[in-house]
Amino acid sequence: MRNPVRLLLGNPVVLKELRGRMRGPRAFIVLTGFLALVGGFAILLYLGMNAASRTNTGQVDGGEIGRTLFAGVIGIELFLVTFIAPAFTAGTISGERERQTYDLLRTTLLPESQLVMGKLFSALAYVFLLLLAAIPMQSLSFILGGTDLPDLFISFVILMTTAIFLGTVGIYFSARIKRTLPASISTYGVALGIVIGTILLFFILTVVTAPLLDRSGNVQASRTTEWIILIGRGALICLNPITTLWVSIDALVEQQSLWAFEYTFQGGSQGATSTVTLPSPWLVFTVLYLVISALFFMFTTRRIRQIDEQ
Amino acid sequence: MTDEPNPVSSENPTVEALIENIDHPKPDLSSLEVDREDYVIETIHLHKRYGKLHAVNDLNLRVPRGSVFGFVGPNGAGKTSTMRILTTLMLPSSGEAKVSGFSVLTQPREVRRSIGYMPDFFGVYDDMKVWEYLDFFAACYEIPESERPGLINDLLELVDLKHRRDDMVDKLSRGMKQRLCLARTLAHDPEVLILDEPASGLDPRARIEIRSLLVELAKMGKTIFFSSHILADVAEICTDIGIIEAGQMVAQGPIDEMRRQLLPHRQIVITLLGRVDEAKEKLMQVKGVQEILDLKDEAGRKRIQVNFNGEDAGISELLTALTSSGIPVTNFAEQTQDLEAVFMRATKGIVT
Repeated sequence: MRNPVRLLLGNPVVLKELRGRMRGPRAFIVLTGFLALVGGFAILLYLGMNAASRTNTGQVDGGEIGRTLFAGVIGIELFLVTFIAPAFTAGTISGERERQTYDLLRTTLLPESQLVMGKLFSALAYVFLLLLAAIPMQSLSFILGGTDLPDLFISFVILMTTAIFLGTVGIYFSARIKRTLPASISTYGVALGIVIGTILLFFILTVVTAPLLDRSGNVQASRTTEWIILIGRGALICLNPITTLWVSIDALVEQQSLWAFEYTFQGGSQGATSTVTLPSPWLVFTVLYLVISALFFMFTTRRIRQIDEQ
Repeated sequence: MTDEPNPVSSENPTVEALIENIDHPKPDLSSLEVDREDYVIETIHLHKRYGKLHAVNDLNLRVPRGSVFGFVGPNGAGKTSTMRILTTLMLPSSGEAKVSGFSVLTQPREVRRSIGYMPDFFGVYDDMKVWEYLDFFAACYEIPESERPGLINDLLELVDLKHRRDDMVDKLSRGMKQRLCLARTLAHDPEVLILDEPASGLDPRARIEIRSLLVELAKMGKTIFFSSHILADVAEICTDIGIIEAGQMVAQGPIDEMRRQLLPHRQIVITLLGRVDEAKEKLMQVKGVQEILDLKDEAGRKRIQVNFNGEDAGISELLTALTSSGIPVTNFAEQTQDLEAVFMRATKGIVT
């Protein structure tokens, strides 16, 4: 079996795409724009928080500013990745059709999986570069306190997983739909679905289950109902990168646990509390989206392998 | 009957025809070794339907190994559909197609290894240099990295683009792009080249260059299967032709044989200083003469056209009949009937 790293680096599509992407001023401009946006946002957030802290208490809470700055920078990065990953991938296969190079590629000996992997890897490599370049910006929060290396680790994993997922979705639609514009619209539809749609569903679930909650938000129902609500909420949290990050870091701060957290059943009508250990949302998020990404990768390869019926 | 059947030798030839005649002698195809017992491309009862449209209808195509095969037909005749099936880009509705003995249905990878395909458009990667373009496709054909620089140089030399090695692809002229595209098809040294309208949209010089290249490649042992609307190209460089109409093969075979089959009589134009009636009488006595037509006078000289059905010896007899009677002949030449006449005779103008 061939070394996968060697296979990846020897993939002609990777070399061609990276060469094309890094040639000329475009790559430099996108990187500069990305860092300018993240940096500008971080400065505004810092100034705002600093002013707000002084006004309220007369003292500056460095930890609070650090945490907010960290969350803000990750938030804007997530927002940008949500836009950039589809933009880099939704036109990869359809663009080959539009440039009329698709038939040329299809009559070579290049395996479909290498074509898809090459396109995906080269797009993600650039997203990885953007995220890597923004790490110093995230690390500013270390000076102020309130965050630690595990926070940085979790956030980076969530950002990369989001990029991989949206990247594979983009390539899938690009192979499925022949033109780039509808492929991009479909990919952004999925991106909005996971970023905004899941939050809307979470609110709907909260409203629907409101009669079952007491004033503190604890569930006042049978253990089964509480399980159902927990799974429903948990699923929606783990589907959304923002809530995943939020709850994972919250669990890390509250329970000092990177991999798992404890949930206490309130007892409800039974009146007895009990505790269960659940995997941290970032872990579920990462596994779930990487599995879905692998499926999308497989579907894309299968779609390209199909010889046109027409 | 038209006065001047051959457009290239007409009194007002097109600029294109003039350039071709001045610059470019007809290529010599005699050295090509065509094996008519071995078909490198073969389709058997091939059908392709798009809904109600029957684009390819029971097509039985046979391309001999080593031939330069011109695939001609009107627009919508099914040429591109056939080529897309042969290049594994499209599935047939029914029937079988084989390239180098491999089935396009069950052995597409082997088919791809044995063909070099050039579509009727040039797919541009506008952010690549000429050598990078060839390097990329050579890598796609699994050519080892160590062999690629030498291969790229050889290919660029073959298509006369060595001096443009480091230029961006989108800076090349259309003719150069077409030559580069042809170089790309050769990267993996395929047995067969399948070219869809290789000279389409090119200026006369670029067309000549492409034609010369194709002949060179044929001399290197490649079988060349190409479609074209330009019958002059087909007539000049093809050893064999296939005429497709409404998805069906209406005629195929060696080009000279096709001419003989589809155009049964030969035309000899004779220019005389006088005694026309006597000349006609003498000529009518030669076996094989079907009819004699009067043509327009040229610079005061009388001209006649003899439609003749026979071998070369019979043509010689025509000249002997005139000279032995002392009839003054200033010009005696057999007219090469162009492929357009063959094409018009074979097709009925049906478009699917």
